[in-house]
Amino acid sequence: MTEQLHGIILDQINAGVLVINSDMEIDYWNRFLQIHSGRGNDDVVGKSLFDVFPELPKPSLRRKLQGVFLLGTPTFSSWEQRHHLFEMPHSRPITTASQHMAQNCSFLPLKDEMGTVTQVCIIIEDATDVCFYQGELNTTMSKLEKSSRTDGLTQISNRRYWEERLSIEFSRVVRHGGHLSLIMFDLDKFKSINDVYGHQAGDHVLVETAKQLTDALRTTDLAGRYGGEEFGIVLPDTSLDQAMVVAERIRTRIADKEFTFEEQVLPVTISLGVTQFDLSQKNHEKMIAQADSALYKAKEGGRNRSVKFEVE
Amino acid sequence: MSSQTITEDQRDCLQEVINVAMGQASDKLARFLETFVHLEVPNIELVSTKEVTDMLAVKYEQDAVSLVSQGFSGAEGLRGEALLIYSKINADEIADLLGYTEDEATHTEQLTDISSLLTTTFLEGLAEQLETALSYSAPRVMMLQEHGIAKMLEEKTFNWEYALKVNISYLVTDHSFNCDMLLLFPGTAVEVLKQVLDEILEDF
Repeated sequence: MTEQLHGIILDQINAGVLVINSDMEIDYWNRFLQIHSGRGNDDVVGKSLFDVFPELPKPSLRRKLQGVFLLGTPTFSSWEQRHHLFEMPHSRPITTASQHMAQNCSFLPLKDEMGTVTQVCIIIEDATDVCFYQGELNTTMSKLEKSSRTDGLTQISNRRYWEERLSIEFSRVVRHGGHLSLIMFDLDKFKSINDVYGHQAGDHVLVETAKQLTDALRTTDLAGRYGGEEFGIVLPDTSLDQAMVVAERIRTRIADKEFTFEEQVLPVTISLGVTQFDLSQKNHEKMIAQADSALYKAKEGGRNRSVKFEVE
Repeated sequence: MSSQTITEDQRDCLQEVINVAMGQASDKLARFLETFVHLEVPNIELVSTKEVTDMLAVKYEQDAVSLVSQGFSGAEGLRGEALLIYSKINADEIADLLGYTEDEATHTEQLTDISSLLTTTFLEGLAEQLETALSYSAPRVMMLQEHGIAKMLEEKTFNWEYALKVNISYLVTDHSFNCDMLLLFPGTAVEVLKQVLDEILEDF
């Protein structure tokens, strides 16, 4: 191929090509770079790389280039580690949110007949599309992950995820010791709320209860919808007495809160059963069973109260 | 698989070629990094995928590791991937080693930079010995301080039932830094490599 043909190809190619010498001066750049950087030929060729592109991370890039000159090996910069080196607009300004072109850059040694590296060729590829789709993928993945562990109605953890977390916390205290408490509660006379005010009122109560719960808990506590109108709260590093304080706080919060639906005030209270980890429990299901049995006592005792589990 | 064995002569030849390449690489790296770089004499084995993952599972059972992969390819189908495995690395050490100022590059960027240096410097020497030239892909961080390297490789590696395993340990004095390099060649590339080695042997 003739040199002329090389020149044509270099100017047509959809990637930036830049050649620098060992003084870090620009010997050559192609049309792609002219177009995208918006600079004129006279301001670039023969000038220092770092003067022309002041946005470059000078110390580390200089060191990288030194490596290419000295070792005769290529080096790279990927958008995944550094979004871009050369600040340029990209070719999809309308459909992507990012301002600058994401880039994959290769730094290739150019050697003379003796094998000495005299120049370094920098190839700059536009990776904006890849970067954009990777971002979309990540967002979708995290949404999916969230939705797979969230209860659709109340937007707190669903039973599967909540129980998985309880079982992890259970294994943790078995292995490392420490406290773990569990609260199970349900809405008093929920069936009659549904019957008297309708299912939409019932759903409203469930959503509002979950909201109250989220506001009342510490960040380390995990609330979940166990099923129907029953909820569970995992309380790591919490003793039974501390858990009772939390239970009472939630109970009074719900009792004091005025639940209204279509301008009608709904009678909402909850009954709670509380238990803590001890070595006699074989698994986390045993904890749930104990909290449930305390919850049953709370119902029997007249509802709207917290009861701790006691061995009979 | 009778074709997937290398002869004693080929093995010795490859060992010699690698020794020379390593000598060159440690010399060059030492000058660039201004520290002493020790490359341990590797052992070469033709192994199956399973053997590699088993070996890694045992060696890194307890450790969170970082894994960087860089592909290389040469003429006539000589190609493969260099895997660099780091356990217990200190980000500051790498930055210091590379001569980067603080906060200038992210941890993953430092990791890819040092990996690229170690891999390409050695492979350039190897290519020279084999009288060929290699091109490289950009290094990719496949794991970052994660557990379960064997499982990850089992799930993510395709296309090679047998591979030539060249275990190389880089030890850098003045810095508490070391890593293992694993060169993996797919079966077809092993054939090519054997041919190249035979040519070298004929010249002796």
